[in-house]
Amino acid sequence: MSAGSGEYVRSLILARLEQPIVEMGFEPAAITDDFDLLTSGVIDSLGIVELISTIEQQLGIVIDLSELDPESLTIVGPLSRYIETQYLQLAQMRRSA
Amino acid sequence: MSDDFRNLALGFLRSAERYPHRMALEVGNVKLSYQSLYRAANSIAEIISRNPPEDGPPLTAVFAYRSATAYAGVLGSLVAGHGYVPLNPTFPPARTNTMLRRSECRSLIVDAAAQSQLTDVLQHLSAPLLVILPDSIIDVNEYTARWPQHRFVGANELECVSTEVPVWPSAAEDSVAYLLFTSGSTGVPKGVAVAHRNVVHFVQAAVERYGINEFDRFSQTFDLTFDLSAFDMFVAWERGACVCCPSRKALLNPAQFIRDSRLTVWFSVPSVALMMRQLGALRPAAFPALRWSLFCGEPLPADLAAAWADAAPQSTVENLYGPTEVTIACTAYRWKGRQSAAECEHNVVPIGYPLAGMKALVANNNLQEVLPGEEGELLMAGPQVSLGYWHDAEKTAASFVIPPDGQLTYYRTGDRVCQPKGDGPLRFRGRLDHQIKVQGYRVELQEVEALLKQEAGVDLAIAVGWPLTASGAGGIEAFMTSAPVDVETVRERLRARLPRYAVPRKIHVIDSWPFNSNGKIDRGQLLRLLEARL
Repeated sequence: MSAGSGEYVRSLILARLEQPIVEMGFEPAAITDDFDLLTSGVIDSLGIVELISTIEQQLGIVIDLSELDPESLTIVGPLSRYIETQYLQLAQMRRSA
Repeated sequence: MSDDFRNLALGFLRSAERYPHRMALEVGNVKLSYQSLYRAANSIAEIISRNPPEDGPPLTAVFAYRSATAYAGVLGSLVAGHGYVPLNPTFPPARTNTMLRRSECRSLIVDAAAQSQLTDVLQHLSAPLLVILPDSIIDVNEYTARWPQHRFVGANELECVSTEVPVWPSAAEDSVAYLLFTSGSTGVPKGVAVAHRNVVHFVQAAVERYGINEFDRFSQTFDLTFDLSAFDMFVAWERGACVCCPSRKALLNPAQFIRDSRLTVWFSVPSVALMMRQLGALRPAAFPALRWSLFCGEPLPADLAAAWADAAPQSTVENLYGPTEVTIACTAYRWKGRQSAAECEHNVVPIGYPLAGMKALVANNNLQEVLPGEEGELLMAGPQVSLGYWHDAEKTAASFVIPPDGQLTYYRTGDRVCQPKGDGPLRFRGRLDHQIKVQGYRVELQEVEALLKQEAGVDLAIAVGWPLTASGAGGIEAFMTSAPVDVETVRERLRARLPRYAVPRKIHVIDSWPFNSNGKIDRGQLLRLLEARL
């Protein structure tokens, strides 16, 4: 599982949100890709900011959310894959710079 | 009809006549023209009018969230001559039940999202209710069989209602336009009753101040349970503009919502702008279509106002101020770049000057005006001072006062401000009590503490706003010196009684209380404990 891969981002998200996931009565290991962090009550607006900034710090990138479909922002799978795409784009820009 | 005593819905009805085909509302993917929204509202109004309750006040609850039914419900209640009582399906059902019982509403409009909570919300309600379910296409007989004392009206019956004759509702001088519940220090939410004339005065002042026209597109970031939502609806509809209500999700990425909805008027708590800045969304000229950028509900940081002004260069940024009790907003400060930066204190934008018709008094404990430069409590008088607290004459008398050397009734805001020197603006300094703003939501820490004590079975519990943000607090954390009940169990019980933002994120059990020199519990010391844990 390489840094920046969708799988890795997914694991970062679940690690960061483990406590609220358990509190809301979910089993972290059983979280599927279509799990919605917002409607399940795991995060609110402050939660999303904290989550994004944690991932930014851990991956060493700045995430631009402007291209992400609003409905996908809080769904584990699409969010992880979106961040993976951003990570790869930035890595490529850095290499060519 | 004199406009002083007009019904709050009249502005919408006039616009519906003038601009039947313009958009009045966009909510999620649903777009409703003035004519469509008028029809939906009118059938609801007709059902309410045909089923007059045997007793109870002229109020209708709107139990709905970011749906077409929510807005049709608000307008339908007003057209029927009722005030609306917004109830929020994102709150715990037990809290909604308390509000419904305290309001004594005998009619209730429920949207699809709220329908699943009906069982909890209708508990202990013995008086016969009229329950209108505009989103329920299924047979309502199932409900009728379950709750035979109530009358249920579904989509089928609403469609059959003929509303060809336009209704032009009026409003008596003191009739209630909306009843909103806010956090109450005793642990029970308190209702603020706002009259049609209060809101109509504000709306008329606002459409003039902002030069609103039928091409404007307003954000609706606020839930209906927050009175600032009334600005978006009634100021827009007064002039034929469109209200754009994002879904709960779209609200998490507001920059995209501003662009996709082509907004011209933005109104939110500063916390939303802070979140956008943290997400990197406040880039220069990011929002070229905005004409007005309005903030209210908590202190606006000066650097945030400056960043927003750069992101929306064609817009004027204003910081509004006002408690629910004085109807939406009663003072405003216009951001003027560098000149304003010099007028800020501790990076907080001033709250400015009273809006048209309103009067501010900065007073000491004896309600006497303090000298320029001195600090005092802000009191507000004028046509927006609301009717007071619902069924609570004692609290109303304590907060709505006539100062010894005055004749006007002033509302004691509980906010500390500095008496301006010369023609300077009012500046917010803090609270006199333990009310805080959590992500813009008003929370009485005493309410959280009262419930903590009950649920944990302790004599003393202290709640503080934490983490601190540039505009207030991001959440709440609490302290106890013993925990007879497991703290996670306590938090779970609180989740059933408080809105999510008011539930302590952590409960700390400490060895002993820190005291200050007055022998009071030192809240500052508790905050330093939290700081040290970072």
